[in-house]
Amino acid sequence: MAGETSQFGASAAGCGRYSRDELELAAIARTDPDAPVADGLVEHLSGCPVCRGIVDRVTSDNAFLAEVAKAAPVVRPAVREEAGPIAGYRLGEEIHRGAQGAVYRAEQLATRRTCAVKMLLRGRFAADRERMRFEREVEVVARLRHPSIVTLYESGISRDGEPWFAMELVEGDRLDEFVRVRGSSPREIAALMRQIADGIACAHRRGVIHRDLKPGNIVVDREGVPRVLDFGLARADGDAPPGSVAGGTTLVGEFLGTFAYAAPEQLAGDPGAIDSRCDLYALGVVFYECLAGRRPFEGARSIAELVMQKSGTAPERPSASNRAVDRDLDVIALRLLSADPARRYDTADALAEDLARYLDGRPILAREDSVAYVVSKTLRRHWLASSAAAALLLTVLASSVALAIAYARAERERIRSDRTLASFRDAVGSVNPESVAGSAELTVEQFLELIEQNAANELSAEPGVLAGVLDTVGIVHLGFEDVERAEKSLRTALEMRRALAARGECTPAELAESVHNLGRLLFLQRKTAEAEIAYREALALRTEALGADDLRTMLSWRHLAACVRRQKRLDEARGMFDEILAKARARRDFPALEMAAIMNSRAFIDADEGRHDRALEGFREALGAIRGSLPSDDYRIGRSLYNIASAEEKLGRIDDAFAHAGDALSIMRRRKGSDAATVQQVEDLLRRLTEARGAQR
Amino acid sequence: MGGMDLDRTTTALLSGLFDPRNAAAWEAFDRRYRPILLGFVRNCGVRESEAAEIAQETIVRFVEEYREGKYDRTRGRLGAWLVTIARYRVLDMRRRAGTAKVERGESAIVDLDDDRSVGAAYEAERRQALLREALEDLRTRSRTDPKTVQAFEMLVYHGLTPQVVADQLGMSTHDVYLAKSRVAAKLREIVIRLESEYEEAPGDWEAAGSRPSDGLRG
Repeated sequence: MAGETSQFGASAAGCGRYSRDELELAAIARTDPDAPVADGLVEHLSGCPVCRGIVDRVTSDNAFLAEVAKAAPVVRPAVREEAGPIAGYRLGEEIHRGAQGAVYRAEQLATRRTCAVKMLLRGRFAADRERMRFEREVEVVARLRHPSIVTLYESGISRDGEPWFAMELVEGDRLDEFVRVRGSSPREIAALMRQIADGIACAHRRGVIHRDLKPGNIVVDREGVPRVLDFGLARADGDAPPGSVAGGTTLVGEFLGTFAYAAPEQLAGDPGAIDSRCDLYALGVVFYECLAGRRPFEGARSIAELVMQKSGTAPERPSASNRAVDRDLDVIALRLLSADPARRYDTADALAEDLARYLDGRPILAREDSVAYVVSKTLRRHWLASSAAAALLLTVLASSVALAIAYARAERERIRSDRTLASFRDAVGSVNPESVAGSAELTVEQFLELIEQNAANELSAEPGVLAGVLDTVGIVHLGFEDVERAEKSLRTALEMRRALAARGECTPAELAESVHNLGRLLFLQRKTAEAEIAYREALALRTEALGADDLRTMLSWRHLAACVRRQKRLDEARGMFDEILAKARARRDFPALEMAAIMNSRAFIDADEGRHDRALEGFREALGAIRGSLPSDDYRIGRSLYNIASAEEKLGRIDDAFAHAGDALSIMRRRKGSDAATVQQVEDLLRRLTEARGAQR
Repeated sequence: MGGMDLDRTTTALLSGLFDPRNAAAWEAFDRRYRPILLGFVRNCGVRESEAAEIAQETIVRFVEEYREGKYDRTRGRLGAWLVTIARYRVLDMRRRAGTAKVERGESAIVDLDDDRSVGAAYEAERRQALLREALEDLRTRSRTDPKTVQAFEMLVYHGLTPQVVADQLGMSTHDVYLAKSRVAAKLREIVIRLESEYEEAPGDWEAAGSRPSDGLRG
């Protein structure tokens, strides 16, 4: 499972699953809920006496040693150094002085290396606990090694009680200066952003959030490499994340600059809402600023106004200020600036990847979402294949459609395409509402309706295209769980296609698509028997038109098998899944997520029949299939772990189940929040397991 | 290592105090109890210069009474006796200064009218003195590897990260953590030994028994 190598990659301690570093941090976390704790470690401790013993001992050692240090505060210096404010360093010239403190060129005496020492102006750590937490965080940050992150060496408290940090000395220009002076092209800016996103992704993977990204914290060095400074140090400002306090009117001007980079949820002052996606928002502002030469919400005269703007409408596209910016970059920047964190990129990795794709000339990309996949494909086929239709729609919907079409074009070669739906929504949402006649606000539903209406009016002469548009619109409605609207569109599309097919004006594959989509709708409506009929028809059509091995054919097949299973014809369903699985395994290029879906479905049947050992095997295999292609904290990994834990519970393997359910919970909670029904399912499982463990002892 | 040093027990010190010419016993006793008393008196809100004076006077007064046979160890703990002397000194000083209450604001934490508060304050000072002595012992008398001690000091006193300590001392971070836990174990061992030398296991102050009977002034 998660643990042969620990998260920091350091050598393992205790039972071997986590490193000593991680166990030491867990001890700190006992008294300090903010200390970073490795994923799954808390759950692990409750089940592992070896590791728990170490953490217990470290906890008591730390408390005892803190008592000793307090009782005997003066000791001889451990490192010989010349008299200066900071033990172990000789400070040189002042490089920079700001509101926070001053930065000096310095020499670390022990290593003789040149570095930068940043001294904060006020002694900010009243409580030992706070100081210790801060130091531990610095310790984690100090272990980050990435070309785009300025390495932090260490921190401490000066003789005058002021916190200081020693870090790598980087000489260069602030990112915004660099871009402005050089007149960097959007492409060059995207290249810089990609490197920055890479560095941030590296930190996020280790649980370090910057919290205060801004152009002043990004320096482009002499080699042209952007370097992010002050990682994790936002906490050095004590308990005041940007935006949570300082509401006083006199401070408004002073703080507005910083607020410009704060995500709306940060400005709202809810610390629970702050996660790594705040960094993505800040990065979005930086990106926007570099591209457009101005900030996205420049007009705000007060914090309240800024908050309103940020949580309300999307800003203008960067290309409105700089015509050299192309649509892809518009979309990326605006997506980062989504008010709802769930609509930003999921991770900095995803952002880096999209920027890389842009730079390589590949279409930008998010991750798999089959609804979206259909949307994009159909949009492309039916909006762009017929330039006449595209032109018609364009004249009707003007700029609002332009972005959506840009998006559709980008999807052309896309293979893995999750989250497109969200992107699509963003594309729609980022349109300037003013430009859509007669509408101050345009929801997705309204947008789709507009498309539908106009398509019906303008495309009556081209029913083939119209059917495709309606099918797409129906699927989008389905994605938004608007079943009623979906049904109307999908059924209309299907009727049109049947009529067209009868005249030979529509291919069997196109007809099959409509039939398959109807099956999805019926399945969602729990009209399983009807769904089965639809899927059988779709399967037959697709097998004939595309061949039995085509991915779309296999998809209809899998959905059909799911209908059979839901109707409790388990033997029949198992036979189908076995066949599908065999076929999928025979193909080398079979998509991992689809493969995992088949394996899971197959395992669910075993579970239905009470064969939990086989079910467990299947769930494990499914996890193995997706592990390589998804980030380790992807929601679907969490779901897989939950499946495994459920099977283990049934088999009485309570400790294993406990560990897996714990891992599942930490992933799912992070991804979906504690309130999600699926998360509560996991919590219920954990509760049962805890009781079972209690009963065992 | 670690055996109890019989010459250092409170019993040994006290018996040495009977002899006015035994300067070593006097010095050892003074070294052990003066810092505790000083800390205690400070916490009563007494200014630094006066605190030093009261601590000094308390020691002198105690030794006098002891030699007069007024202090009987079976009747109460040494600490309780000492603190009672110090308490009267502080109250006496306040009376002379004409202030019943103290003004030092921030940390006049000891309520001299409350036995429990007085006891807790003394106990806290004694514990700190013990830890200081334990640390000194670790550095000078125990045979703990100097590098281990150094790693501990850099980590705990200088707030250096395990990584930096490891780099500077040429060890792994794992070794740094081990050094920390080894030092903690060693210090605990020393503390237990010192406790036995003090012969004053921390306990229920209320049950400490009788106190000096008279007002001890003049």
